[in-house]
Amino acid sequence: MDINTKKVTKNAYRITKQRYKTALRVRVPGGRLKAEYLEILQKIADEYGDGDLHLTTRQGFEITGIDMDKIDEVNAIIQPVIEGLEINQINPNTGYTAAGTRNICACIGNRVCPKAQYETSGFAKRIEQAIFPNDFHVKVALTGCPNDCIKVRMHDFGIIGMTLPQYDKQRCVSCGRCVEKCTKLSTGALTMENYKVTREHDKCIGCGECVLNCPTNAWTRNEEKFYRLAIMGRTGKKNPRLAEDFILWIDEDSIIKIIKNTYDYIGEYIDRSLPKEHIGYIVDRTGFIEYKKWALKDVELSPMAKVASNIYWGGIRY
Amino acid sequence: MIDTNVYMPIKSNIMEIIQHTDVEYTFRMAYKGEVKPGQFFEVSIPKYGECPISVSGIGEEFIDFTIRRVGKVTDELHKFKVGDIFFIRGPYGNGFHMDDYKNKEVIIVAGGSGLAPVKGIIDIIHQQPKDYEGFNLLVGFKSPDDILFKEELKIWNEDLKLILTVDGAKEDYRGKVGLVTQYVDDIIIKNMDNVAIIIVGPPMMMKFTVEAFLKRGVACENIWVSYERKMHCGIGKCGHCRMDDTYICLDGPVFNFSKAKHLYD
Amino acid sequence: MKIEISKEDFNKSLHRLGDEYRIYAPVAMAYKGTFSDTDSIRYKEINTLDEIEFNLKSHFSPKEVILPITQVLFYFTEDQYKEPETEKKKLLVFLRACDIHAVKRMDQIYLENGQRDPYYQEVRDTVKFVLIGCEKSYRNCFCVSMGTNKTEDYSLGIKPVGDQVLLDIKDEELNAYFFGEEKDFEMNYVTSNDIKVLIPEPHQIAKDIAEAPLWREYDERCVACGKCNFVCSTCTCFRMQDIFYKDNENNGERRRVWASCQVDGYTDMAGGHSFRKRHGDRMRYKVLHKVYDYNKRFGYHMCVGCGRCDDACPQYISFSTCVNKLHDLGKEER
Repeated sequence: MDINTKKVTKNAYRITKQRYKTALRVRVPGGRLKAEYLEILQKIADEYGDGDLHLTTRQGFEITGIDMDKIDEVNAIIQPVIEGLEINQINPNTGYTAAGTRNICACIGNRVCPKAQYETSGFAKRIEQAIFPNDFHVKVALTGCPNDCIKVRMHDFGIIGMTLPQYDKQRCVSCGRCVEKCTKLSTGALTMENYKVTREHDKCIGCGECVLNCPTNAWTRNEEKFYRLAIMGRTGKKNPRLAEDFILWIDEDSIIKIIKNTYDYIGEYIDRSLPKEHIGYIVDRTGFIEYKKWALKDVELSPMAKVASNIYWGGIRY
Repeated sequence: MIDTNVYMPIKSNIMEIIQHTDVEYTFRMAYKGEVKPGQFFEVSIPKYGECPISVSGIGEEFIDFTIRRVGKVTDELHKFKVGDIFFIRGPYGNGFHMDDYKNKEVIIVAGGSGLAPVKGIIDIIHQQPKDYEGFNLLVGFKSPDDILFKEELKIWNEDLKLILTVDGAKEDYRGKVGLVTQYVDDIIIKNMDNVAIIIVGPPMMMKFTVEAFLKRGVACENIWVSYERKMHCGIGKCGHCRMDDTYICLDGPVFNFSKAKHLYD
Repeated sequence: MKIEISKEDFNKSLHRLGDEYRIYAPVAMAYKGTFSDTDSIRYKEINTLDEIEFNLKSHFSPKEVILPITQVLFYFTEDQYKEPETEKKKLLVFLRACDIHAVKRMDQIYLENGQRDPYYQEVRDTVKFVLIGCEKSYRNCFCVSMGTNKTEDYSLGIKPVGDQVLLDIKDEELNAYFFGEEKDFEMNYVTSNDIKVLIPEPHQIAKDIAEAPLWREYDERCVACGKCNFVCSTCTCFRMQDIFYKDNENNGERRRVWASCQVDGYTDMAGGHSFRKRHGDRMRYKVLHKVYDYNKRFGYHMCVGCGRCDDACPQYISFSTCVNKLHDLGKEER
C-alpha cells in the first residue's frame, strides 16, 4: 500500500499503531449536534470500523479501526455530518479539508446552564466559520462563565463569558445576598454601604452571581455581551501552562478579529523547519509585544475593554 | 402629605440623665400627654434610626426612657447630654391597664431591664397602696453591677415588700443570690383568686417564672406578661413584631397570659 | 359601558391619559431576567398597548407600583424632618384579577390595621385599575381555590382582540377618554386551575402546629432568599433605614424598603436576640400567615393564589403543595 501520510493526517485521519488501519476524527464545533447524525457515525463504525466510537477530549468522535483503503468511501458517507455541522469544506465528498486547527470546544452554555452568560455553541460556530479550514495548530475553547468547566485556560484562546451587572438601587432591599454570594463564591467585588451595594469594577469578573441571587431583580445583566479573552495556555511536553488574561470586557467581533489576525502572525513567524509549530511557542519566541501588535491590528475595542500591557506566563518548566 | 404623618416624630428635650450602669441610662424627656406604663415610643436620631423604648416613668410633664446601649441607635443615644433633643413618636401599644389590678394582691416580677416597663406601675402602686390588696415586688439582675434604679429600690425596700436578687455575685456580696424563680415560693399569696401577677423580663426568665406561679396554682387569667419583639414601625404596618394573628405593637406588648400562652413566634 | 375601539385609537386615548396619569403595566424586559438572555416581566411605565405583556404572568406583582420597593419617608437636615415632594400625577395600573384582590390585602394592612399609613394612602387615592382578563390559567396559579379568579373591582376592563380592543368602562371619568362602538362582551376569567389548594379550616390547625414535623423538611430545602416574599402580591412587610449622605454628613434620609420574613435579620432585636432561626420555621410563619393567621384577624385569606412564589423559588419549594400538606395534616389529626 502506498499512501501519503501527510495527506491522510490533514484529512482528519490518524496514523495508528496498527498498520493499514486508520481512525476518523469527527469534529463537533461547540460540542452540540443533532442526535440524528449518530446514525451515520454508527453506520461507519459498524460497516467500516471496529464497531466502536471513541469520545475525544475535544468534543468529537473518533471512529476507530477503519481500513486505510476505505477512506474515500467513508468520506462520502460522512458528508451529511460535515454539512449538517456547517463545517467549512473545499471539495464536497472529500472529508475534512484540514485538521491543524483543532475543534472548537464549548461548555453547554446558556441554552441549559443557569450560570452561563451566553450561547457558547453558537459563538463557537461563528469562530469555526471564520477560521476553518486551517492547518495551523491552534486550540480555541469557550466557556459560559468563570467556572470554566471546559477548561479554556488550557487553550491558546480561552473565551470566558462576562456580564456587566447593572444595579438599580431603588429595587434593592439590602438583603445582602449578592454581597454574600460574591464574597463566598467569587471575588468579593461587592460591599454594602449605607444599605446599598457598591461594585468594585476592577475586582468584578462578571460571573453574574449577584444577578442570579438577587431576589428583587435589582441586579440585572447588561444587554451587551462581554468576554474575558485568555491566551496561550497549553498542555504538552515543553512548558505546560495556564492561559493568561489578554483582554477583559472584550466584545465578540473583536475576539474573532484577533483570532484571525493571529493566523496572519503565525504565517509570518512560524518555524517551517518543524513539522508543526504550536502558536504558544511562536509567541514565546517573538515576545508578547510583537504578538500583540499583530493581534490588535485593525481591532476596534470598546472603551470598556481592558488590554493587558504585558503578559508573563508561568507554568511548568522541565 | 395628607392629614397627619404618623411616622413624623416630635422633638423632645432631655431634662435629666440618670446613669444606672455603664450601659444603662435613664433619660427624662419633656413630654405632655397621656401615657400608660408598659407603652413604648419609637425613639430616634435622624440618620441613625429608630428603636422602640418602653416608658419607665411617667410624670405630668415628662416621661422616662431607660435605655440600654446595645446597638447603632442606642450607642448614639448615650452620647446625648441634658438639653439635647431626641425625636420620639408614640405612645404605642396597649400598656398595663391599671383597672385590671385594682383591689388585688399585685405581684410584680421583673428581670433586668424588664424593670423599666413595670416601673410606672410600681410608682402608681407605691403612691396609692390603698387601692390594692397587697403588693410584692421580686426583682432580679445578672449581677450587683447590673442593678437598675438603685435609688428607687432603696425607697421601695423601706415601703414595700421587695425581694431583690442577683443571678451571681462575688463572695462578699451581702444581698440575695439566685434566679428570681427560686424566690417565687417565698411570696405569700393570701387569695389565689384575687391575685394579679405581672412578669416582665428576658424570654427565658418569663417562661420559667410563669411556670413557677402556675405550679403554685395561680390561674392563667391572673398573670400578665409584656412581650418584646421587633416593634419596628409601632403601628401595625411593617410586620416584624407579628406573632400568629397578633401584632405586638398594636395588641400588646402587654398580654394576659390566657392569651399569651397561645402566641408563638 | 362596553365598547370596541381600534388599537390605534386606544393608543391615542392612552396618550391623552398620559397627561394626567402615569400608566403602569407588565412589560417583558429583554435581557433583564435572572438568567442570561431571558426576560424579566415586571411593572414599568408604558405609553402604548404593544408594550404590555398580555400573554404571560408577570414575575413580579404590581404591588411595587403602589408600595415602592424603596420609598423615602423623610429627608433630614440638622434637626428637621422634611417629607418628600408628592407625586402630582395619578396612576393607572394594568393587572389581573388576583392582583386586584391582593390590593385589598395591602389596603387592609396599610389603611386599616392600626393607624393609616399616609404614604400608602396618598398613592392609593390616585390609583385606578385596568383589569387584564385571564384567557387561561398559568402554571402554579390556584386563584379559583382562593376565590380570586374574578373581580368586578376595576375602573376599566381590557380585552385585546386582534387589531381591536374591547373595553369595559366602569369609571365615569374614563368615559371621557375612550370613544368607540358599543359592543357587549364578557371579560375573560379562569374557572379552573391545574393546581387546587385545600385550606384547612381554622379548627383543623393544631395548637402545636409549630412543632409539626412537616416544617423540618424546609430547614434544609429553603435557602432563605426571600424571593417568595418579594414576588408576592400580598406581602407588605418593610423595614426602615436611616442613612446620611456621604458628601454631606449632616443630611440624610429615612426610607423604607421591602422586607422578607424569610431573610436573615427579620426578627433581630437590638441586643442580638432573634426568633425563627430555622428556615422551616420561617416557612411556617409565612404559610400560616397566608392561609390562617391573617384570616383569623381579618376574616379572609391573605393568599390570592397567583402562584408567583412557586414560579420564583430557586429550590422548587411549592407553597401550594405545602398548604395541601397542611390540609392533610389537619385531616389526620381530627
